Amino acid sequence: MAAEGLAGPADLGDDEQEAVELLLHRLADDEFVLAERYTEWQVRSPTLESDLAVANVAQDELGHARLWFDLLEDFGYEEQDLIWERPPEQWRHSTLAELPWPDGGWADAVVRGYLYDVAEDLRLGALEDSSYGRIRDRVGKVQGEEDYHLEHAQNWLERLTEDEDGRGCVQDAVDRQFAHALTLFEPGDPDLEERIDDLGLRTTPLSEMGEEWLRRVVPFFESLDVDTPMSGREDVTADQLPAVVGRDGDHTDDWFDLYEEFTHTYDQVDVGDPVRIMEDPDDE
Amino acid sequence: MIWEVFRQENAGEYHTHCGNVHAPDAEMAKLFAQIQHGRRKPTHSLWVVPQPEVHEVDDEDTAFGGTTDKSYRWAVTYDVDASFAQEVADSEREQEEAARSRGDD
Repeated sequence: MAAEGLAGPADLGDDEQEAVELLLHRLADDEFVLAERYTEWQVRSPTLESDLAVANVAQDELGHARLWFDLLEDFGYEEQDLIWERPPEQWRHSTLAELPWPDGGWADAVVRGYLYDVAEDLRLGALEDSSYGRIRDRVGKVQGEEDYHLEHAQNWLERLTEDEDGRGCVQDAVDRQFAHALTLFEPGDPDLEERIDDLGLRTTPLSEMGEEWLRRVVPFFESLDVDTPMSGREDVTADQLPAVVGRDGDHTDDWFDLYEEFTHTYDQVDVGDPVRIMEDPDDE
Repeated sequence: MIWEVFRQENAGEYHTHCGNVHAPDAEMAKLFAQIQHGRRKPTHSLWVVPQPEVHEVDDEDTAFGGTTDKSYRWAVTYDVDASFAQEVADSEREQEEAARSRGDD
């Protein structure tokens, strides 16, 4: 059942705004950072077609990041506060999004896409009835594009695992990424996450989403004869997680390198104000 | 494997050839075709067809029609105002186009 609707951005209490901001950062930061990583595949994918498909996915994720960052701008932040000048240790994305690609691993891109897109599907489902109208309004647009992402990832996995070599590559990628994928459902700040649930901003708590994710991901890999480090029936414990989980601002070294890279031009050109090519649709 | 892609803009219209994609099977071909041929133009439907299944007969193999003067089939000698009926106006325009493409003018 949907909680009572919250006010618009100007009329939220401080506690409410804090919760909305963390939720939006979880969404926006994941999408933005993952899109940065996908972009590295551009012109390097196995075929022209797969190149265009992954570029398309990256473009979609950047678009989704913009939808969520826009809602943070409602609170007075500007693009440079949210992206180009935000210190890297304040980013709240899961470490799955920031991992670099090992040499030549197309399977890595496909596995990461799959692990992420199943989580994305679940978390968007938990926002359909969000008590915050502006989040609710954006969910449908994102879901429409995510269906393609999931289908794309599943189709690739089914084909890569058809032979021994391909399955080996997928297995290696799963071994490398699974623990990081679990951080998708880790709390950023446990009290705030509880507030997000209590306010009805999200209608399914992270732990439940995490269990559902395991119930979908594990049998799918089983059907492809790929092992996962968890059976899907046990609780996630600290030793199954990577040393850093990202959500609390603690990240792997690779994140700081990536941050250097994508802010490099902004720092060098010293533009001050990022260029806006369109009006914010919520601005009257 | 190459798949020829046909795009239909609106329901009921013809699917028109618009290019091709490389894909291992029909499922992947459909996924790739969406991005390459259905993302930038309004699209109602796409067909993907394995290239070897497209069979061709060209103008070296056969003499196609449409090249001889069949104007005797058309009621062009009646002096009527074609504007009184749409189909007559259409027919007249078709005859003119056919004549032009034959190079009769």
